[in-house]
Parts: sequence; structure tokens; C-alpha cells
Amino acid sequence: MATGTSTTDLSRQRSGLWLHVLLGVLSLIMVAPFIWMVLTSLKTLPELGEPGWMPAKFQWGNYPEVFFVIPFLRFMANSLVVAGWVTALQVLTSAMAAYSFARLEWPGRDRVFFLYLGTMMLPGLVMLIPNFEIMVRFGLVDTYAGLVLPAAFSAFGTFLLRQFMLGIPKALDEAAEIDGASKWRIFWEVILPLSRPGLITLAIFTFVGNFQSFFWPLVMTKSVDKYTLPVGLLFFDTERGQATHLLMAGVTMSVIPLVIVFVLLQRQLISGIQIGGVKG
Amino acid sequence: MKTTARSKGLLAGLLFLLPNILGFLAFTLVPLAMSFGMAFTNWDFLKHNMFRDVPLHFMGIDNFLRLLRSADFWLYLGNTFYLMLGLPFAMAGSLVAALLLSRVERGRRLILPAMIAATVVLIASALGMVWLGASARAMWMLFALLFASVLVAGVFSGGTLYRTLFYLPNFTAGVATFVLWKKLYNPDTGPINVGLGWLLDGVASAINAMPAVFAHGVPVVCALLIATLSIWHWRRLRRLWDDSEAGVAAIIGGGVSLAVAAFFLLSWEGMGGLYAWSGAAVVLLVWVLSLARRPRPWGKPKATDKGLGTEVAVGMVLIPLFMLLAAGIVAGPGLPAAAAVGIPAPDWLADYNWAKPALMIMMLWAAIGSNNMILYLAGLSNIPPELYEAADMDGASSTQRFWNITWPQLAPVTFFIAIMSVIGGLQGGFEMARAMTQGGPAGSTTTLAYFIYSEGFQNGSMGYASAAAWILFLLVFVLSVFNFRYGNRHVND
Repeated sequence: MATGTSTTDLSRQRSGLWLHVLLGVLSLIMVAPFIWMVLTSLKTLPELGEPGWMPAKFQWGNYPEVFFVIPFLRFMANSLVVAGWVTALQVLTSAMAAYSFARLEWPGRDRVFFLYLGTMMLPGLVMLIPNFEIMVRFGLVDTYAGLVLPAAFSAFGTFLLRQFMLGIPKALDEAAEIDGASKWRIFWEVILPLSRPGLITLAIFTFVGNFQSFFWPLVMTKSVDKYTLPVGLLFFDTERGQATHLLMAGVTMSVIPLVIVFVLLQRQLISGIQIGGVKG
Repeated sequence: MKTTARSKGLLAGLLFLLPNILGFLAFTLVPLAMSFGMAFTNWDFLKHNMFRDVPLHFMGIDNFLRLLRSADFWLYLGNTFYLMLGLPFAMAGSLVAALLLSRVERGRRLILPAMIAATVVLIASALGMVWLGASARAMWMLFALLFASVLVAGVFSGGTLYRTLFYLPNFTAGVATFVLWKKLYNPDTGPINVGLGWLLDGVASAINAMPAVFAHGVPVVCALLIATLSIWHWRRLRRLWDDSEAGVAAIIGGGVSLAVAAFFLLSWEGMGGLYAWSGAAVVLLVWVLSLARRPRPWGKPKATDKGLGTEVAVGMVLIPLFMLLAAGIVAGPGLPAAAAVGIPAPDWLADYNWAKPALMIMMLWAAIGSNNMILYLAGLSNIPPELYEAADMDGASSTQRFWNITWPQLAPVTFFIAIMSVIGGLQGGFEMARAMTQGGPAGSTTTLAYFIYSEGFQNGSMGYASAAAWILFLLVFVLSVFNFRYGNRHVND
């Protein structure tokens, strides 16, 4: 590639410019609803009924007002706690199971693995109603445990990490075994550090997915102080009244932490999927 | 000696599996068995709970019979499939985005200067806006500056920025996005109809300026185009059939799709019926063609032409074309009269026929930059560069490179995404309906998922809802098996 002649370089640069213009326009289309969201969050209540995008004057006071009207920080904390616990539990249990499926030899292993894979096909809705029933019987409705536990065990995560661990050279754990390391130490000190991109990929998918999960928190939470952000924000959008400007301010604030996490970790996200590979 | 090693291995293997398998048993297997049992009872949340314990009745298959007999259930099933017509577009969008991004990312990467430059431009534009005051002119300036800063940052960061911006809808994919789009779709104040209003006014004045004959010709032209396209397509199908490359599965799939199409035609009204019918007809064609063992769309046999690709691509062009043409036939005669008073923009979510297309547009927007795009990006970078170098030596055009190298090499990823999308699509639509439409107007956006939720959790009829959930499971299962059996063939041969 580096030995290309100057004419091809030039044409490549020119096509590169058009590519950037195209991508720039696409990006703007993707971002436009968010610009509208931020501008709407700076409007006054009467201005919401007007078609223009621009508020007459930026109402920065809308942002503090969100905290007065709903316990925003409480909802945010609930979401972070729930998504954080789900992510931690899911990554740990999936990594252990993946280690067992990818690196340990035991009879019937592959048959059990395919059973696991099969469960990915089940619609979550089939399990939703009885899961709720189980939570009622155990008295876990309206508790953090009830929000976290059903989401904490995933066949998808096991599948992703197994594919990833299959790519790590076997010689490494054999060497560790000769040195007399236990299975647990091999897992903890050899395999886990080498699986870091895969773990981060799974962690991002899980965290983002659970931070916004709506269905389960909606049926599981009864008291306001257990509401997660997606459920709590609906306070601004009910049949009785709509405070769209405050809703948009709340949504804007709820997106920011996720964007920061993504920007910081995105390079590892891509490499995690690359090495893991998606083989049908 | 050997047996102890084996049993030690088993012990270790199971111990590592234990945490996951306990959760799996408690929250997957047990609920599964429970819901299967519940589907055969009259379990009602209001009658059977921890405070009142009215004895349960075993109902046999009554729940299932009641479901299959209720017209609403079939309508909701139809809605679910209708919304799934958007999936191929979403996949294509992700692929195109990934292709564009992968071309940019071969360039240099100077992330830090790019970020600094973009931040400076952004802060400058924000200050400018504050200084100018909020006005319509400031609005356009904001967009221009944003575009400029995106370009600057994009050129320097080599795609990182674009990727982040494309992925942005994912962070709010929950309820926030739905409420946002509900406002965007607002017929009076939403920006979509404000923009469309200008456009339609222009179209109306153009039609008014034309002699009425032209407008009356629209349905005729549309009908002719539909006929031509259908004949062309059926001839392709015949050719594949004569080469005995369409199997039994194709016939079964075709029959099912025909039945679905007939159902749409009989039970839906007005424009919605025509849309849905033409959509279903095209889906039928796409299905049948994609099941043909080795598709040869343009009559040229190619050694590397495999995967579901070309049929999906053809179908994606045809589906909107058929829909547009069908709309032309319906709306054509009324055009001059409508243009005289001004063509109204659709009411989107409040309109029975427009609510589903509105949801599909939103889903497309959210799906382009989703995890699918990231999977495609990863898949693209896994293609060995030697393949492209060899193609370059043979003087292949970029279209040939795509269809003969990129697309077949991506077949496993596409297969994975297609399966996941179909499974997700069948179970989908709940959150949209809950946050945007409450399933309306007149049930036109109620999918099976929302139906199960409203029956089970709002009306309390858990038994009935469980039965619906199990029918949904059967559907997912059958479609997945079908996918694995026939979709996988192209991937592995």
C-alpha cells in the first residue's frame, strides 16, 4: 500500500474527502434528534408547542429543576447500581463457565454447551411471567436483588467469552500447570488477564443494555425510590401532563455517562469482537 | 489412575460451571417449566396470589384455542411481521455504515489533536450562539459549525468520531429515544412534519401547474411497472426452478408467505392493506429466491457467489418500490383534487396506516449504528487482505470485489445478525408500544410482546398470556431451525 504511485495517492485522497463528507452528513442525521433534544431541554413550557427548534432564550434553569421535580440522582444511582451488579455478576459467571467450556476437559462438555446455546433462542417473554411469580414467592419484588438476579446469568456472555478463550494458546495453561498452578489460579492469573478485550466487550454490551432496560424494572419496582432511570423519567410523560423540556433535560443527563464509557473503551470493544470472532 | 483424572476433570469443570448453571436453572429452566404449566390453567393474577388463593383450574388447551380463534391475536401477529419487514433495511444500513467506516479507518489516526480541534470548534460555536442570541439564523450556524467540526475531527481521528456518533442512538435506545421520536413525529409541532410541510407544498404547486391528464396517468404507469417487475421476478424464479435449485423448503415457505399475504389482503383496510399485501408478496419472492441453492441472479454462474446476499439486496429495492407503486395506484386519481387544497403531511403515530411505517423509520435510525455495525466492522477487518490483492491483480471492479469477496466472507456475520434480528424482531415492539402509542391507534402497533404484557400484567390473565408466549416461542423456534437448516448452508459450503 505504501508503495502506491503519487497519482493513485491523489485520487485516493480525493475519494477520501468525499467519503468524509458523506460520513459527516450521515453523522449529522444520526445526531440531529439529539440536537433537537438538547435544544428542547432549554425551552420554556409554552415554547414546547411551537414548531421552531430554537428557544427564545436558553433556559439553563431546566436542568436544576429536574432534580427538584423527581429524585433524579436516586434514579441514576439505582440504574448504576443495578446495571453495575448485573455486569459484574454476568462477566464473572460467564467467564467461569466459558473457561470450563473452552479450557477444561470433561465428559459431556460439548453437549451441555449446545444446550446452553439453545436457550439463547428462547424468548425472554416466556420466562418473564413465571420469573415475576418466583420473585413474588421469594418476596424479592421491589428489591435490588429482584432487579439484578434474573439478568445476571447469560448464555450469550458464555458463548462470546468461550469463542474468545478458544483463541488463547493452550501452551500457556499447560506451562502454568507444570509449574503446579491450580485450575483456579490458571483461570484467575492466566486466562482472565488475556481475555481482557473480550471481558470489556461483554461488559459494555451488558452495561449499556441493562442501564436502559425498561420492561423488568417496570414490573419489578413498586416504590419510587427503587425506580431506575428509564422508568423514573416517564414521570415527565404521563396522561395527566407532559413536561417535555424537563424530560429532555433528564434524558440528556442520563446519556452522558454512557457516551463517556463508550469513547474511553471503544477501541478495546472492536478488538474484543475481532479476536473473539463470530462464527455461525 | 485414568478414571480419577477424568472424574477430577469433571469435578473442576462442573465447579466452574456451578454459578452460571445455578442461575440458569433458577431463572431459565424453572420459569420455562412453570410457564408451560401456566399456559394450561386459568391463572389470573387477581384471583391467585398470596392473599387470595382460589383453586386453579386445569383448562387443557382452551387458552390456545381461544387465542387462535380471536381475530385480535392474528392482527397482532400480522403487526409483528409487518414491523419485521424493516430488518433487512436495518442490516443493509449497518453494513453500509461499516463499509464506509472501514474505508476511513485505514487512514491515519490522530485522535488527540482531533478531539482538541473538535472541542475548540464546538466551544467557539457555543460561544457564538450565546453571543448571537437564540434565533433561526443561529440555528443554521450551529448546524454549519457542527458539520465543520465533525469533518475536522473525522479527518483527524480516522473514523473514531463517526463511529461514536453512529453508535450514539444506542445509548438511549430505551424509553428516552421513543419519547424523543414521539415528539419528532408530532403532527403540529414536530420538526419532521414542519420539514415535510414545505416539501409537500412544493409538490402540490407543481401538480397544480401540470395538466390533470398527467396525474390521472399515475395509477396506470404504476400498475404497468408492477406488472413488469412481477413478470421479471417470476421469470427469474422459473429459471431457478428449471435448474431444479429451489427445494421443497422453498415451496413450503412460499405457501406460508402466500397465506400471510392473502390474510393481509382480506383483513386489512384501505391503503394499509395494499401496503401490507405488496410487502408480503415481495417477502414471498425474496424468501423463495433465497432458498434456492445457488442463486444466480443475473444468469452468470459465479464460483464465489454464495450467501443470502443478492436476494436480500434485490428484495430491499423491491419492497419500497412495490409499496410506492401501490400507494401510487391508490392515491393517483385523487392527486389533482388533493393538490388543489394542499397535500397534508401524515399524522404518523395517530394514523392507523402510518403508525407502523413511522416506527420502522425510527427503528432503522436506531439500528444502523447498533451492535450489528460493530459486528460487521469486526468481520470486515477479519477478511484476509490477500483476497483483495489477488482481485486487484485480476483487475476486478469495486462492485465485483464486494459481491465476490466481501459479501461471501461476511456470510457468517450476516447469518449471525440475521438470526439474532429475527429472534429479536419477533419478541420486539414492546417498549415502543408502551412509551409511544400504547399499542394504538386501534391496535395497529400492538405486537405480540405488547399483547403478552398487557394481558398478563395489566389484565392479570397470566395463563392466557403464557399461552401466547408459548405460541411466540414456537414461532421463534421454527424460524430459527429453518434459518439454521437452510440459511447456514450457504455459510458453510
